[in-house]
Amino acid sequence: MPIIVNLDVIMAKRKISSGELGEKVGISQANLSILKTGKAKAIRFSTLEAICKALDCQPGDILEFKEQDLK
Amino acid sequence: MWNDKKSISLSKLCVLVFTAMLIGTDLSAPWLVRWFVDFSRANLVGKEAFFLVTIYSGSVPAAVLLFCLYRLLRRIELEQVFIATNVNYLRRISWSCFVGAIICFASMLYYFPWVFVAVAAAFMGLIVRVIKNVIAQAVELKNESELTI
Repeated sequence: MPIIVNLDVIMAKRKISSGELGEKVGISQANLSILKTGKAKAIRFSTLEAICKALDCQPGDILEFKEQDLK
Repeated sequence: MWNDKKSISLSKLCVLVFTAMLIGTDLSAPWLVRWFVDFSRANLVGKEAFFLVTIYSGSVPAAVLLFCLYRLLRRIELEQVFIATNVNYLRRISWSCFVGAIICFASMLYYFPWVFVAVAAAFMGLIVRVIKNVIAQAVELKNESELTI
């Protein structure tokens, strides 16, 4: 998928663990892992809002668009 | 009180009854064919071997169909409905119907009424195929909703 999730980068910058973030956002460790590994098919605005609030960042800091090489 | 579990159990029982009927037909095919040839007003004497070939070759897709149907019901019983495996079972059921239709269509050459069985089997295959397409879409939607965080 050409949308890259940079959640782990922001988490490292903010020095916040998965457990702590999951607790603040209100999502399970399993779902957080799906999000971090890029396996997620979609993200709800409410989840994005909660993550941005917890990490004090913008949606663009977490999500990045990269052109996919179709060769 | 009637519920979903009992309904599935009834469906499984019907599949088992049909399986028993299939085995019974295969075991008694020579006698059944002899009785039919004697009973029929059409002149079918000498065509017994053709009937046996149709019955035995048709038993293969019928057995595959019944096996897949049973496995499908078993999955539904375990509340695993919208999964890729079930789509595969439905695909096999549909193809079994089409193979049965082809066998019956070929059998039309020596006994015309087989055409009615062929059309019924092909129509059944078509219905199952459409259901398979619907379930395949449902599986995709379910996966997408499960991976929405």
